[in-house]
Amino acid sequence: MTDALLQVDDLRVSFAVGGLEVRAVDGVSFTVDPGRTLAIIGESGSGKTVCCRAIMGLLPGTAAISGSARLRGSELLGLSDAELRRHRGSDVAMVFQDPARSLNPTMRVGVQITEAIKTHRAVSRREAQTQAIELLRLVRIPAAERRFHEYPHQLSGGMRQRVMIAIALACRPKLLIADEATTSLDVTTQAQIMELLLELQQELDMALILISHDMGLAASYADEVVVMYAGKIVEQAPAMRLFGTGGAVRMRYTRALLDAVPHLERPAHYPLPVVGGRPPDPTALPPGCSFAPRCASAADDCVAKAPALLEHAPGHRWACWHPCENGGAA
Amino acid sequence: MAVPTPDVTLATRVPPPLPSLVNSRRLRTQRLGRALRLWVPAGFLILMLAMCFLWPLVYNLPSSVNGNIIYSSEPPFSPGHWLGTNTLGVDIFSQIVYGGQIAFEVSVSVTVIGIVVGGGIGIIAGYFGGWIDAVLSRILDVLIAFPALVLALVIAEGLGPSEMHVILALSVFAIPALGRVVRGATLTLRALPFMTAARLAGTRGWRIIVRHIVPNILPGIVTFSLLGIGIVIILEGALDFLGYGIPLPEASWGSMIAQGQQVLTAQPEYVLIPSIFLLVTVVALNMLGDALRERWGVQ
Amino acid sequence: MTAQPTPADQPAAGEPLLSARDVVQEFVVRERGGGKAGVVQAVSGVSFDVMPGETLGIVGETGSGKSTLARAILQAPRPKSGSVVFRGTELTKLRGGRLLQARRHMQFVFQDPFGSLDPKWRVRSIVEEPLIAYRTGDRAARRKRVDELLDLVGLDPARYAKRHPRELSGGQAQRVAIARAVALEPSLIICDEAVSSLDVLIQAQVLNLFEKLRSELSLSYLFIAHDLALVKQVSDRVAVMYLGKMCETGPGEAVYRQPLHPYTRALLDSIPSTEPGAARAAATIKGEPPSPINPPSGCRFRTRCPRATDLCAQEEPEPRELAAGHLVACHFPLNQPAPVATAVAAADAATGVTFRSV
Repeated sequence: MTDALLQVDDLRVSFAVGGLEVRAVDGVSFTVDPGRTLAIIGESGSGKTVCCRAIMGLLPGTAAISGSARLRGSELLGLSDAELRRHRGSDVAMVFQDPARSLNPTMRVGVQITEAIKTHRAVSRREAQTQAIELLRLVRIPAAERRFHEYPHQLSGGMRQRVMIAIALACRPKLLIADEATTSLDVTTQAQIMELLLELQQELDMALILISHDMGLAASYADEVVVMYAGKIVEQAPAMRLFGTGGAVRMRYTRALLDAVPHLERPAHYPLPVVGGRPPDPTALPPGCSFAPRCASAADDCVAKAPALLEHAPGHRWACWHPCENGGAA
Repeated sequence: MAVPTPDVTLATRVPPPLPSLVNSRRLRTQRLGRALRLWVPAGFLILMLAMCFLWPLVYNLPSSVNGNIIYSSEPPFSPGHWLGTNTLGVDIFSQIVYGGQIAFEVSVSVTVIGIVVGGGIGIIAGYFGGWIDAVLSRILDVLIAFPALVLALVIAEGLGPSEMHVILALSVFAIPALGRVVRGATLTLRALPFMTAARLAGTRGWRIIVRHIVPNILPGIVTFSLLGIGIVIILEGALDFLGYGIPLPEASWGSMIAQGQQVLTAQPEYVLIPSIFLLVTVVALNMLGDALRERWGVQ
Repeated sequence: MTAQPTPADQPAAGEPLLSARDVVQEFVVRERGGGKAGVVQAVSGVSFDVMPGETLGIVGETGSGKSTLARAILQAPRPKSGSVVFRGTELTKLRGGRLLQARRHMQFVFQDPFGSLDPKWRVRSIVEEPLIAYRTGDRAARRKRVDELLDLVGLDPARYAKRHPRELSGGQAQRVAIARAVALEPSLIICDEAVSSLDVLIQAQVLNLFEKLRSELSLSYLFIAHDLALVKQVSDRVAVMYLGKMCETGPGEAVYRQPLHPYTRALLDSIPSTEPGAARAAATIKGEPPSPINPPSGCRFRTRCPRATDLCAQEEPEPRELAAGHLVACHFPLNQPAPVATAVAAADAATGVTFRSV
């Protein structure tokens, strides 16, 4: 356990919204090993983004956070802003969904990358600029010297996301969190960016956390998959185990996410397996399993008691009273 | 694949529900603060309106115009004159009440005229666009370019001071202000998908304006108007102060300040009392506007 | 309902329900300060047919003009040129009330479920809006119809009719938009990214609803999305758009099994698979789409195409029917061997873009 790069233990985040408590993350634990890729999958509101923002120290002061998140043994939660800034960028970095909004529209992209380098390292302006152009090359931006002097609006969505990745990589972090980083991009651009991320991971020996709602992305690019629902981890397993032939999916929720991904093999007008209902209200979570109201095989005990997330097979954890057999394939 | 799932351990390992991370006092404080932000200014304004318009109907107030020189310059908390009297012996509380009536009458009328005329122009300009927008926008520009106070002075000078003329003069200021706000809001709204959806669903012309545009811009206009009412009260005070507003001897907050200013060092309360009423009323209007904006989520 | 189907109202068998020919839509791009910077041809000469009861899927990435095409079909705004014939009526020539009547049987569902519902209206009024606009029945009849429609899309009228859009989830809001779309018993519904903003489980629910309505109300769809897998799943025929032009049109199964256009191939390869280890095709398409203000000469895809030659730069490929109902606009379709002198390097040099080798 000591060789884990990031170790998150019983992380919990609550917000007070309009006089009610919203439990965004409710007791989440996972580890990320150096150089590996972890995918955190869930619908909107499942707490996957809040979870990673808490690790990055990016949540507003109104959030109540408990638990621990240790990066190479040093605690990240509860750090002062100055200490966080040291970690952010040099140890962990984050790429967001919306590259258009994450970049300053009034500054040339080169200046923004140079700034990012200078905040973390004591280097001269000239040196920082050289490194910035190298970073642009690193993220395979053609004609890097020319792009260096352009403004964000002159770049396409994919190029902007490359610039964001360049900024995130400015200090060679050990962990990169990509929060829906390819969701707003076209499929062809998404494939390019994902491939770039994996190549950079190899080159720089980084660990990667992919936050996404897309099971396909997790299956194609992750080593380990964590499925979140209503603030909790409901299933965790190596990708090969979860998606491989004779898949070992145990949670009906994971199965449903997998089935809902459009398949090219299915004939036209094929009726999709459907899960009714919608995620529970985060201000009033049910006492039992939070997926029980939508689950086809829910029984009385599911409504009464919440199942714990236990390691039932090596590397495979799930939280279900009645796990499905044969991967739940219909 | 054989997965060891010992049912016994499962049954015994039900985790207790995790305790709340947010303490309940903070949640209560949040709810209370939200309620107070709305009801403190609203309550104060209701009290002010009741004082100005209901009080004189229920109780017999001393005249706000004529005073008895025998009772002149009485200090606050004197019997029968709890805010005292001025140098002419006129009851200050009566002046505040009747001055307040005028302040509210003028500011509300001006704002209503502004909403109806300015808002109408703004909606038509914003919705129909093209040359209609160009013409109406230029008219609003011309009006906004007029210095409102100077125009009010000219109207008062030419037509003679009266409440009606004050309303007229200040409307010239309110109409373009509201007109531009409404036009902007309509333009933003027109580009939204639900407007396209309404048009494609077959709804047309005036029905779109009445049923889609007006309800959507109304919250914004109401909050903006509350700020507007405050500004108009100040402008009305300024006109009175300059002697071009409500004709003497009728009481108004502005003229009270103007008269009190002559004896400012000897009797600062003549200036202070109307100023405080003016200030607190305007602040309450602004606070109410902000609280409503928060509730309705208006930008 | 009060619709009186006249013989002319119903298309004869074998006649397309909707027929678009050479539709062109342009926008003027302005510089800062209002100067005219150029004209973007967002849709340039697109033709397609939708047969009664058929779902035609249109796939394209950002900037392919697919949404503009949807609006042009709806005449909102009217296309610059070309013809749109719906149920035998030419829409581009109609105005005002006559356009409204002709468009009655063509409804739409947009991407943003909340954006397309007036936030101040209640669900009941939203669904009733087209019924009022087309003066359908009296108040009581309309109310009854609204309840039926809400039932049809799977929303309990007693619970949802009085809600405002903000009190709905994204999926419920999209159901309301669908109820409004089917209120007038249309024959065609244009769905522009209608499920793209929904969570994956909700997306499946809404897709099934579309399927249910298709069979129950014998609807046709023009289903527009950026996700080829999604489009293929709901469509009988699929059309692929790139930079304002159609690349390939054909039966969904054929387009998937044997794509003829290199761009379609690239789209298929880019879809992440849920089978791990299934060899990920190294992104077969490089670079970024060129600017639509200044599209490439000849074939618009040639700057990113691995098979492009000089011919592609000189001559624009015309759509050719290579199999039954399977059209492709490419000089060197994928069922033929790759051209000998591949001029990719030349094309790259011309655009100043260099690609690393994988």
